[in-house]
Amino acid sequence: MSHGKTPWAILSLTALVLCIAAPVPDAAAQKKGGVLKVGNLGEPPTLDAHWTTATITEVLAQHIYEGLYALDAKAQPIPMLAEGMPAVSKDALTYTFKLRQGVKFHNGKEMTSADVVASLNRWGQQSTYGKNLYARVADVRAVDKYTVQMQVKEKTATVVISLAIPNNSAAIYPKEIADKFKPSEKATEWIGTGPFKLVEWKPDRHIKMVRFDDYQPRKEPASGYGGRKVVHVNELLWIPVPDAATRVAQIETGELDFADDLDLNAYDRLKKTSGVRPIVAKPYYWLVAVFNKKEGLMTNQKLRQAWQAALDIEPIMKNVAGGHRELYRMDSSLAFVENAPWHTKLEALPWNEHNRDKARRLLREAGYKGEPIRFMTTQEYKWMYDFALLSKQQLEDAGFTIDLQVVDWATLVKRRNNAKEYDAFTTGIGNAFDPNHHVYLTPNWPGWTDDEDINRLLTELASESDYKKRFALWEQVTRVFYDKVPVARYGDLFGLRAMRGHVKGFDTTLERPRFHNVWLEK
Amino acid sequence: MLVVVTVVFLLIHLIPGDPVAVILGPEANAQQIEDARRQLGLDRPLPEQLLRFYARLLRGDLGQSYFLDRPVTQALWERAEPTLMLMLSALVVAIVIGVPSGIVAGAFQGSWWDRGLMALALLGVCVPGFWLSLNFIYLFSVRLGWLPVAGYASVFQDPVAAARYMLLPAVSLGFNQSALIARIARSCMIEVLRQDYIRTARAKGLAEQSVIFLHAFRNALVPVVTVIGITMAILIGGAVVTEIVFNIPGLGRLIISAILRRDYPVVQGVVLLTAAAYMLINLIVDMVYAYIDPRIRYA
Repeated sequence: MSHGKTPWAILSLTALVLCIAAPVPDAAAQKKGGVLKVGNLGEPPTLDAHWTTATITEVLAQHIYEGLYALDAKAQPIPMLAEGMPAVSKDALTYTFKLRQGVKFHNGKEMTSADVVASLNRWGQQSTYGKNLYARVADVRAVDKYTVQMQVKEKTATVVISLAIPNNSAAIYPKEIADKFKPSEKATEWIGTGPFKLVEWKPDRHIKMVRFDDYQPRKEPASGYGGRKVVHVNELLWIPVPDAATRVAQIETGELDFADDLDLNAYDRLKKTSGVRPIVAKPYYWLVAVFNKKEGLMTNQKLRQAWQAALDIEPIMKNVAGGHRELYRMDSSLAFVENAPWHTKLEALPWNEHNRDKARRLLREAGYKGEPIRFMTTQEYKWMYDFALLSKQQLEDAGFTIDLQVVDWATLVKRRNNAKEYDAFTTGIGNAFDPNHHVYLTPNWPGWTDDEDINRLLTELASESDYKKRFALWEQVTRVFYDKVPVARYGDLFGLRAMRGHVKGFDTTLERPRFHNVWLEK
Repeated sequence: MLVVVTVVFLLIHLIPGDPVAVILGPEANAQQIEDARRQLGLDRPLPEQLLRFYARLLRGDLGQSYFLDRPVTQALWERAEPTLMLMLSALVVAIVIGVPSGIVAGAFQGSWWDRGLMALALLGVCVPGFWLSLNFIYLFSVRLGWLPVAGYASVFQDPVAAARYMLLPAVSLGFNQSALIARIARSCMIEVLRQDYIRTARAKGLAEQSVIFLHAFRNALVPVVTVIGITMAILIGGAVVTEIVFNIPGLGRLIISAILRRDYPVVQGVVLLTAAAYMLINLIVDMVYAYIDPRIRYA
C-alpha cells in the first residue's frame, strides 16, 4: 500500500508492545468443549453477508465467513484469507492479493482465487460497501490459483478497508454458491471458511454452529476481529429471545451464557446479580435526527442550524441511557473514539450549544412561522422514541412546532425513502471505518445529503491515499457538516450485553461479539 | 373463507411499510430497494398480486416467506406443535381451575366460598397476561429457581423438559381464561339450581351432592362448553404475548415478527390457519352440545 511508512511503523510497534503486554492466557487453562448459549433479539433477515447491513446478520455471518482482510483492535485492516497486505503497483491502479494456501471451506473444498473472484464480484453488485468500491473497480481476475488482481479505474483509498469491514462484508463463498445465487437473490446455502460451521437454522428456535475442525488459524495473535482464531467450545447455539426482559431473566438464571442487546435499565440489576458480568458495548450508535433535504421545511439550512443550536444533548443522553453515565458519551466527532484513525478532536464546533437565543434568531432568519415539522420515530427501539420525545420538548421551547409521528420500524424505513412523507426521522449511526463509508453524507441515502462541498471533499478523500492528507480532509468534512447540518448529531449511546462468570476469553472491547477464543469454565 | 383471504390480503398490504427495506438493512439505498422489490414481485400492481395469490392458494401454495427462506406452509407446520401444546395445556389449566370454582361458587351462592372465588376470578380477568407471566418468571425462575425462564421442548422428545417449560406459560395463560369459565359456570349453576326439577330432586330427598352433580351440573354444562370453545379460539389467537415472553416458537411469535417485518405471505398464512381453526372449533363445540344435551339434534 502506498500509505506513509510512519503509521505502519507505529502500528507494528504498538502491536509488538501489545503482544508483550497482553496477558497471554495459559494454554492449559483453556478448556475445550461445551455448548455456549447466546441469546439475541431475533431472527436475521438472512445469513447472506453480501445481502444486508442488518447488525444481527453481521454478528452471525462473521462467525461463518471470512474476508481477505479483517479489522484489528485499532480498526485497521490486517490480512485474514489474504497472505499479507496487497502489492500495489506504482500508479496505484493494480492491487495484487496473494491468498493463503490450504484454507478449507466448510464443505471440504480448498479456497482458491476462483472463489475469491466470484465472491468479490457478487459482493460488488449487492453490498452497500461493495457497490461503493466497485464504482471504481475496472476488473477483478484470477492470475493463478492463489493470486487475485484488482484493477481500479482511478486512485482509490478504500480498497483494503472495504474488503475488511465486517458489516455487509466481502465474505468469501465457494464459487459454486457465489455463482448459483445472483447478487439480487438471497443465498440460502451458507458455507464459508470461518472458525464456526453452520449446522442448523431453525427459525425462532435456534441457529446452531459447531467448531470447524479443519480451520487453519493464522499465526498472528488475536486482535480485534482478526488474528489467531481458535474455537474452544463444541457448539455455539444462538437462541432468538425477542423479549428483552426474558433475556435478562435468562442470563440471571444461567439458562443463557451470554445475552446481547439488553435493555439499559437492566444495568443496575445485572451488576448486583452474582455470577453475571454486565458488559458495556462500545461503540454502539450515535443518535441522530436525519433531515429531509430534498423537499419540505428542512431543506432550509437555517432551520437545520436552529435545530442543532437548540439541543441540550447531555440531559437527553442521560435519560436515554437510563441515568447511567457509563452508558453514554458526549462527543462531536463523526467517527467514534474507538475508531482511532478517524476520530477528530475539533474545538469550537456548534455542537451541543443549547443556545435558545441563537436558535430563535435562526428561526426568524429562516422565516419560520411555526409550521409543524414532521419528525418520525418508532417505539420499537426505545432509545429512538426517548430521544425524539425529549428533543421535541427542547425544540418547542426554542420556538419549533414538532409533529412527532410514532410509527413502527417497517413503516419508518419505508417512509424515509419518500421525500413527501417527512421532515426528519430518528435513527442510529453505527461505526463507519472509513470517511467514505458514512452513508448519511451521501445523496442516495434517505435524507438525501447532496451538498457540493461535502461531495467534493468525499471525492478527494476517495482518491487520496496519504493518511495525513486524508485526515485533514476528514476534518474539513466535519466542519462543513456542522455548518450545513445534513443531520443533527446527538451523543454516543452504548449497548449492554451480559455474560455468566464461567464464560472466559471473551474480548469485551469489541463492538460486536465474537466467540472464537472463548471457553467455558464450568 | 374467500372473504377472509381477500380481507387479510388487502389489510396487510394497506399497512404502510416495506419488507424489502427491513431485509436490506438501514444503510441500503433506494436503488437496492427497488431491485429487491422487483425480485419479490412487490413492484406489481396490487390487483395482480391478489390474483396471483388466489391462483397459488388454489394449488394449496401459501407462497414463500421473504425472511425465513422456506415455504409458508412449512413455517406454519413447524410452529403448529408449540402453539397447540400451549393451547391445550392452558385449556386444561383453565378448565381445572374454572369449572370446579364456578360450580362451588354457584352451589353455595352468597357464601364466603362464593365471594372469595369470584373476587379471585375478577382478579383473573383484570390482571394482564404479560404482567402475570413476568411475575411468575421472577418468582419461580429467578428467585426460587424451580422452573426455567423460557424456552420450549417437544413433548415427543423430552416429556419432562417439555412439562417444565410449559408449566408457567400454561398457568399464566390458563388463569386468565379460567376466570371467564368460572363466572359463566357459576351463573349457569345458579340458574339451573332455581329450576323446578331441582326443587323436585331435593323434595324427593336426594343428597345435596347428587342434586348438584347429577341433576344440576350436566344441565349447566352447555353454556360452559360454549365458553370453553370460545376460550380455545381466544387461546389460538391470544397466545401471542405468552409466546413472546416465554420464548415459545409458535404461531403467535411467527405472526408478530411477520407483521413487524411485513412478511406478507406469512401473515396471510397464519390468519388463514387461525380462521380455519375457528371453524373447526365451532364444529366440534356443536357436536359436543349434542352429546351433552340429547335434546339437541342436528337435522
